[in-house]
Amino acid sequence: MTGYILKRLLSAIPVLFGITVIVFLIMALIPGDPATAILGSYATPENVEKLNRDLGLDKPLVAQYFIWLGNMLQGDFGQSFALNRPVIDEVLERFNATLILAGTAFVLCSVFGILAGVVSAAKQYGLADKGITFAVLLGISIPSFFLGMMMILIFGVNLRWLPVSGMYAIYGGGDLPDLISHLIMPALALAVVATGVVARLSRSAMLEVLRQDFIRTARAKGVSERGVIWRHALKAAMVSIIPVLGIQAGFVLSGAVYIEMVFQWPGVGRMLVDAILKRDILLVQGGVVFVAACYVLFNILVDVAQSLLDPRIKT
Amino acid sequence: MKILEFTRRAVLAAGLAGLALASPAMAQTPPGVLIVGQIAEPKALDPAAVTAVNDFRILMNVYDGLVRYSDGTLEVEPALATDWEISEDGTEYTFNLREGVKFHDGSDFNAEAVKFNFDRMLDESHPFHDTGPFPLAFFFSAVDSVEVVDPLTVKFTLSAPYAPFLSNLAYPTGLIVSPAAVESHGADFGRNPSGTGPFRFAEWRSNEAVVIEANPDYWDGAPSLEAVVFRPITDANTRTAEMLAGGIDMMVEVPPVALSEFEGEQYNVVEQAGPHVWFLILNTKEGPFTDVRVRQAANLAINKTSLVNDVLEGTAEVAAGPTPPAFAWAYNESLEPYPYNPERAKELIDEAGAEGAELTFYVTEGGSGMLDPIAMGTAIQADLEAVGFDVNIETYEWNTFLGQVNPGLEGKADMAEMAWMTNDPDTLPYLALRTDAWPEQGGFNSGYYSNEKVDDLLEQARVATDQDKRAELYQEMQTIVQEDAPWVFVANWKQNAVTSDRVENFSLQPSFFLLLKDVVKN
Repeated sequence: MTGYILKRLLSAIPVLFGITVIVFLIMALIPGDPATAILGSYATPENVEKLNRDLGLDKPLVAQYFIWLGNMLQGDFGQSFALNRPVIDEVLERFNATLILAGTAFVLCSVFGILAGVVSAAKQYGLADKGITFAVLLGISIPSFFLGMMMILIFGVNLRWLPVSGMYAIYGGGDLPDLISHLIMPALALAVVATGVVARLSRSAMLEVLRQDFIRTARAKGVSERGVIWRHALKAAMVSIIPVLGIQAGFVLSGAVYIEMVFQWPGVGRMLVDAILKRDILLVQGGVVFVAACYVLFNILVDVAQSLLDPRIKT
Repeated sequence: MKILEFTRRAVLAAGLAGLALASPAMAQTPPGVLIVGQIAEPKALDPAAVTAVNDFRILMNVYDGLVRYSDGTLEVEPALATDWEISEDGTEYTFNLREGVKFHDGSDFNAEAVKFNFDRMLDESHPFHDTGPFPLAFFFSAVDSVEVVDPLTVKFTLSAPYAPFLSNLAYPTGLIVSPAAVESHGADFGRNPSGTGPFRFAEWRSNEAVVIEANPDYWDGAPSLEAVVFRPITDANTRTAEMLAGGIDMMVEVPPVALSEFEGEQYNVVEQAGPHVWFLILNTKEGPFTDVRVRQAANLAINKTSLVNDVLEGTAEVAAGPTPPAFAWAYNESLEPYPYNPERAKELIDEAGAEGAELTFYVTEGGSGMLDPIAMGTAIQADLEAVGFDVNIETYEWNTFLGQVNPGLEGKADMAEMAWMTNDPDTLPYLALRTDAWPEQGGFNSGYYSNEKVDDLLEQARVATDQDKRAELYQEMQTIVQEDAPWVFVANWKQNAVTSDRVENFSLQPSFFLLLKDVVKN
């Protein structure tokens, strides 16, 4: 097992290296430069040249890349132009906020998605199945940012039950109940689509398992229906559900970008959007590399979990 | 059925728990503390290092300059300097400084501090020049040296007479920071600011809020508010929702479509026209717009009244010429905007033989001061097609757009959207209408307009130190430029803000700065 994990970790290195090249090239190739973005109306060629020199952007691209990579390998992600603080501080702080949001949404979509899928499969073509399938289709079809805005209008503006935006109250607050009250709407909006996907795939995975011989055997030897579904069938179905959860984790992480914009959640997605618009090169590069690394790591975790559940997968 | 009952109970329980948790978060904002919804997180609170109006809104409350714009105008009045003398040839400015003023960190404001500020920005060998970069330092590039005459007298020597110098001092780049704070914090000064202003810096929670609190010892009288909290809310819809939900007391840059939400008694909408002009650059070097008649026809064909009233919902006024009326002293009152007259436009196009000309029109998706550029662009396209042009729009993201337009339109486009906000009537025409400001010479004259008389007037106005004389020159320039029509003059933006009815004594300034010293919140 340790060998398998080590092998997977080693294979992640070229992937990460490729990501640094791609993100560097994209930032270098998109039109517009940080000096023009900073200077705005006053971006005369003369001023741009001087500012580029001050920012260290007058060096050849290849040199810039290797300086950046070299610094990063030593743990120095550089300084954000637009925020005037170290990239790594900003990324870590923001990533923490994203983890809280995406993590909550991930737990919600896993729990409710699997639950809905199992119930649906157990009562195939019954009223519960039809109701759940309808709700799931509705959930998959609503764009999450639209759902978010509607939630803000109803629960934030009209009913005033929940705060509209941010992560903590500006005045007072800062404790757990405060965080949860700010988290409810964005986490729900983010979880809805993923819940639908998980529910549909759990349903079909369960249906497939329920048709197999060992289930008939279990029923024949008198295991209760509840035991058959939760203990025998779900455990077998998890082998095909877990990779779906892995994909949904990535989906929730990327979906967090719109949700963070709508709810002004101070996460890494909103940070990246702002940074791209301001051509804050080092912040974009550092942020993308960091998020990509986390994603790669998460995928390895999913593979490992799957191999633990299913001994047929070679380690 | 068991399973179903279980889930139903679980959902109900989770929902109730959520509601119970929600109630304490909705407490009212306290009196005396003003919460302002800003459009972005500030870059730094170092006036020499920042360029965005968003950051200026905070800085103007924490720092003072030697001079400032007097309330409701763009004319300078004393601030940290009590008075000044300008030498006969316009190259020496001697300022007498206010006595007994202290920075928030307790150190003294004096002539040494003034010298430190300008040397830090302009002198590359200054020990604290590396706390930059200082992108707008060129505002003071005319300054040759700053001399301490005595502790309360400071003398600036310019390399050549430069009339906008005083109004540049009133701009945020000229705000005076505490040398002691720069020395102790170095490059981190932008997060540990210290000035002499009505509020002092209290706290910066990244991506959440910047908090400033009242400076009871302010030389111009203590502010009424206890504290101001600036919250960055980048999404305009969310900012509107926060205002409606009572989460913020004041919101700046209300989107035109959201204004109708704030018609009720519990809100006040504040408006103020500023030194802003929205225009179309016309390519006068090649294509149909080389002919002045076609340029005038474009000005006549576009229904500007409908643009400002329908597209911008009344958040702008029709522009008459290149200089915004907010520069009251330099504005030519006699100019009338080109009327909407498509018939006359067609006649001019016929005379010039430009019927059915194909035009490439650069439109941006957004950007500083660009208002609603896509909607405006399509409305303009429709108006121009109605008089017989064939207009193709090309849309670019803002920074990409600048990269296309600033190097000049030659070989690429016939017209492009543009907007400027400046602090002196000199800036825009000097950088964007002179022959010497063509792109290859480092200016912003992307449409290659050239008129010797205009060049001459602008050069003269820049070195004249007498304001009445300058005003005359600018007014003559405006008449010529309007006639020559190198641009389509479209709109002057009225900046807006909404406050809740708990906020009193607030007005916006033509400079677009946010001054909160006298604001009251009940």
